[in-house]
Amino acid sequence: MQKKRAYSFPDEVLEHVFSFIQSDKDRNAVSVVCKSWYEIERWCRRKVFIGNCYAVSPKMVIKRFPEVRSIELKGKPHFADFNLVPDGWGGYVLPWIGEMAGAYPWLEEIRLKRMVVTDESLELIAKSFKNFKVLVLFSCEGFSTDGLAAIAAGCKNLSELDLRESEVDDLSGHWLTHFPETCTSLVSLNISCLGSDEVSFSALERLVGRCPNLRSLRLNRAVSLDKIANILCLAPQLVDFGTGNYTTELRPDVLSNLTAAFSSCKELKSLSGFWDVVPAYLPALYSVCSRLTSLNLSYATIHSPEIIKLVSHCSSLQCLLVLDYIEDSGLEALASSCKDLQELRVFPSDPFGVEPNVSLTEKGLVSVSLGCPKLQSVLYFCRRMTNAALVTIAQNCPNFTHFRLCIIEPKTADYMTLEPLDVGFGAIVEHCKDLRRLSLSGLLTDRVFEYIGTYAKKLEMLSVAFAGDSDLGLHHVLSGCESLRKLEIRDCPFGDKALLANAAKLETMRSLWMSSCTVSFGACKLLGQKMHRLNVEVIDETEPPCSRPKSCPVDKLYVYRSISGPRSDMPPFVWTMDEEGTILH
Amino acid sequence: MPNMEFQLGLALPTPSIIKGFDLNNLGLDHPKDMGGLEARNKPARCFSDKSKRSFEQAFGNFEAECKTKTLLLLWSGQPNEEEDHNDQKKRTFSTIDDRNDAEEVDQVVGWPPIKTWRKKIFQQQQQQHRVGRIGNNRVADKENGSRSIYVKVKMEGVAITRKVDIRLYRSYQTLTNSLITLFAKYKKCADDDYTRYILTYQDKEGDWLIAGDIPWQSFIRSVQRLKIVRNWG
Repeated sequence: MQKKRAYSFPDEVLEHVFSFIQSDKDRNAVSVVCKSWYEIERWCRRKVFIGNCYAVSPKMVIKRFPEVRSIELKGKPHFADFNLVPDGWGGYVLPWIGEMAGAYPWLEEIRLKRMVVTDESLELIAKSFKNFKVLVLFSCEGFSTDGLAAIAAGCKNLSELDLRESEVDDLSGHWLTHFPETCTSLVSLNISCLGSDEVSFSALERLVGRCPNLRSLRLNRAVSLDKIANILCLAPQLVDFGTGNYTTELRPDVLSNLTAAFSSCKELKSLSGFWDVVPAYLPALYSVCSRLTSLNLSYATIHSPEIIKLVSHCSSLQCLLVLDYIEDSGLEALASSCKDLQELRVFPSDPFGVEPNVSLTEKGLVSVSLGCPKLQSVLYFCRRMTNAALVTIAQNCPNFTHFRLCIIEPKTADYMTLEPLDVGFGAIVEHCKDLRRLSLSGLLTDRVFEYIGTYAKKLEMLSVAFAGDSDLGLHHVLSGCESLRKLEIRDCPFGDKALLANAAKLETMRSLWMSSCTVSFGACKLLGQKMHRLNVEVIDETEPPCSRPKSCPVDKLYVYRSISGPRSDMPPFVWTMDEEGTILH
Repeated sequence: MPNMEFQLGLALPTPSIIKGFDLNNLGLDHPKDMGGLEARNKPARCFSDKSKRSFEQAFGNFEAECKTKTLLLLWSGQPNEEEDHNDQKKRTFSTIDDRNDAEEVDQVVGWPPIKTWRKKIFQQQQQQHRVGRIGNNRVADKENGSRSIYVKVKMEGVAITRKVDIRLYRSYQTLTNSLITLFAKYKKCADDDYTRYILTYQDKEGDWLIAGDIPWQSFIRSVQRLKIVRNWG
């Protein structure tokens, strides 16, 4: 007898309801309610996010979600940003494009981070997806302007092309001319990473002029200041603008043209670029400053007085990126002018200098924490810190979600008490209950990890360098941080014990990176053998790890969960430990 | 006698500089060791013992070794007796060559954690520093704007040396205004309002002159470094 399903809706109704559910987490929850919901949901999932391209294979994704329109993929581990991952490690997107070309002819959006993208991949994208709209290549590499030309020419409905922070082989500025005259659909264009060679400026101007919906335009360094006024007059509807070089000869007409051009942009909320700034031209911005919510001055080598003048006009500022030329005095001014500030990033102007070249200390951050009640996200490079300052900051800003402090000299103690900074960071995790991301620095013992394990229950990503005394430190984190997804560690005395004792935890995380620690090759082998849903990869550029005794520490270890088994594209310097204990390569 | 410079640093706790300094293997042949840079490349294991040394012990050993290596001590053209005496403990040492050269070779890989493309921009800017400072090598103007020329600025009575890009200024007035603002916070400590300051500069020949006598364009072609001195007259 067939079961009567009371209270059940036709599939179409459920599908319609599900279409309002956008977040991945919610979609995943929906899909495990029952078999029929699983089926309905998978057929109507349009957007997929894959945080580690090796956690699953393209075929598996396509099999489960046959009607995807938008995909986001991340490749290399985060420490690749700092040259800790050798070239050739992996993260190739071509296999994915190859599979999707056949399976998703209606794919509209591809967003990639830290992946290797070739011209071949770009050409395949241009050829395969008739309604392709959005291409975001964040910190990618491996392609040239030839590939971009293919995208420009082939994607008739392109609305977004964003190359932020990617490394592009700049063969010719003429790729821009490949956008057909019929292309009027651009909404966002970010070419700020392109080299200093000439970009075909007339092609750029024509493109900007015929795209009435252009909202975001970020130019590259090759575009000089005198050209900007023209561009802005062609696109006064811009919301986000990245200047090129903010420099040119001092001529009176340039300043007045620029001022007029900026003031005609009534929607402008976000500014960036500012390479090589001539301070005399900064007043051109004053008319838009009060509307600005985001300002990126992190390439601008202007000094504190000029920064203060600019920033004190920006009463609506929510996000500021700046060099440490702002100094403590500038941060004080920021604290009194920008009460809506949510995110602050201060980068070092002389990161490899032994002595400080500017007066930026813990005091600056304390001022901002006091004056900006909405502060949520901080990235701060400095040369000295105290526990007292960190405690004050924590008490002032219990709403921190991201806190990244980089004291430039490794193992720097509290400069007043000469003690480790355990208590200071402990205060951060204790007071900031919503903290999702934390980066540590300075002199730290196992105690700080005890605090983190005890209090940082919402912490998802932790970055550790030159810290801790023993395996106990690592154990505190792995056993205490319930929400931990990504853990990256370098140069810490953490070894086998903590790792093996918490092996099961690793399956609940996206990935673990450990380099220059004391994890032995034997432990890696054991981990790979026991944990079948983990890929345990050892990176060693000097010699195979098995040529040394098992007790020898490995140089770099990358462990991540995966349902597609060991990867098949490993270069010679990466070894994976598989189930049988053999070392694949 | 080559021009050398005696540079004063901020009152950072010297242990933070010495911590990475392996006293068992002093290897002071290379000036770059003085900053503990080479020691930084050793694995973390080496550090953990050293961090427990006391400040005095560490500093005492450091000083003792330094005395034997006069190559590393560099003198400015105008030693100021007062300052030297007060700032004994705050000295750091640098070589005559741009210390950045040595540092780029010896720094710890991937530290500080700055993205590669940002590092490239720093390096480009440092190159401009170097070219500006090594006396006779003045940078020619480029057509679409001139390269930066960074000069060091010292103010009498202030420990920290600043650097400014004099290409950003158009006149003595704008330069002085900016310098006043930069150094204003240091004035309040020792001096009262009646203290006047004079801007002096060292020219290509090594002579210290009062700024303002020659046309601005000639000045920026000639200036090597700046010093703001008290005018007691």
